[in-house]
Amino acid sequence: MELILAVAECDLSESAVCAPESVNDLFEFRTAIFEVFGFPITRTVFLIFLAMALSVGLIYFGLRKKATQPGKFQLSIESLMTFVRDEIAIGIIGPTGIKYFPYLMSIFIFILIGNAFEVTPFVNFPITSRMAIPLFLALTTWVIFVFAGFKANGFSYFTGIIWPSSVPVALRPLVGLIEFFSIFLVRPFSLAVRLFANLVAGHVMLSLLLVTAWVSITTIGDIGAIKGAFGIAWWALALGIFMFEMIVILLQAYIFTLLSAVYIDTSVNVEH
Amino acid sequence: MLTHVFAQLVLAAEEPTLISEEVSEESGGIDLLLPASEELFAGIIAFAIVFFFIWKWAIPALNKTLAARQEAIADELKAAEQAKVEAESLLNDYQAQVAGAKDEAAQIVADAREAGEAVKADIVSRAESEAASIKQRASDEVTAERSRVAEDLKRQVADLSIDVAERVVGSSLGADQQRELVDRYIDELGGVQ
Repeated sequence: MELILAVAECDLSESAVCAPESVNDLFEFRTAIFEVFGFPITRTVFLIFLAMALSVGLIYFGLRKKATQPGKFQLSIESLMTFVRDEIAIGIIGPTGIKYFPYLMSIFIFILIGNAFEVTPFVNFPITSRMAIPLFLALTTWVIFVFAGFKANGFSYFTGIIWPSSVPVALRPLVGLIEFFSIFLVRPFSLAVRLFANLVAGHVMLSLLLVTAWVSITTIGDIGAIKGAFGIAWWALALGIFMFEMIVILLQAYIFTLLSAVYIDTSVNVEH
Repeated sequence: MLTHVFAQLVLAAEEPTLISEEVSEESGGIDLLLPASEELFAGIIAFAIVFFFIWKWAIPALNKTLAARQEAIADELKAAEQAKVEAESLLNDYQAQVAGAKDEAAQIVADAREAGEAVKADIVSRAESEAASIKQRASDEVTAERSRVAEDLKRQVADLSIDVAERVVGSSLGADQQRELVDRYIDELGGVQ
């Protein structure tokens, strides 16, 4: 909302880009629209629940008919689900991966829709650009793969990491330390930040380019033809990035799900 | 693309803020990396609902649909296989029938030919037999006629000879004696010949 005010007051004759004072202004929507039992429903919270409703709704309407000869929509949802099941859950983890299919499917669809809000008209804000969502999902993945590792391999899961038998004895303490930090500390953080940073970057680029383009085109009489023409260039660039972001949206949802499966696989099917 | 701006307008609030050419680094940093509590809470609830929905409803529904489809396809394949077998069986029957019909036709033709041949042989045989009979009859008639003519001739020769002899001898033999004499003479002549 700061951005809107920034738009209102943006003077391109004095500055090159219309930007809010702080980058947080592009992401922080902490004002409650309304409250439910004292819980503040901010714009972001509302969008999180909207993502949930869309995830559930899409799958529900896709699968409710259970038609033997599916329509295009049913086929799309079925294909999406069988892709996650066959290519990610079973494809990466193996036959035991079917146990993790509900979780992997949930994160895939939830992240995909959360990401897609970035380019959704009248929303234009990915919920995954708020650290709460990627962090929560990454920590859930962490809990699952650590738990699965201990369940499948007992305590040797942990000892296998900190004292890897496949490397020379002299290097084991060093490699073990690196592995320990890598698996137990870096993985959840990198998983969360990868998703978060991609969506933040996309949102910043799209917001600033579109706002600057909008302002420069609408105030062309005041700022002159040259700066106004720049506005069109920003607009064209924003369109290109818009297309690029559509790929990022899908790719990041896929990568997060894929890496979750890979982490579970390396915990369950340990090769020391 | 303008929707972003419009969406922001819809939800716009708060106070005017300073417009800056540069994004402030001071207030941007770490706040962005820290999860907002209400968003974290909402995220947990929302994701839990999605997860339970997918776990308890979507995956069983998917499995059921795919199993039903697999079964339907298997049934259709089976039916198609059955139809193919029946079609092949029918084809074999028809081919057998056609082959039988051909054999039957060939048999009929062969029978007809045989019958024809038999009739022909019978007709020829009867004709030959009749011809032989006619020939025989003619031959018999000729023989009989010849015998009769020879008999007549012999009688006439005998009568003439008697007449001549009567005239030569001047005496007459009894008619029966003369005839016996002449016959013996003629027979002798015949035996000489």
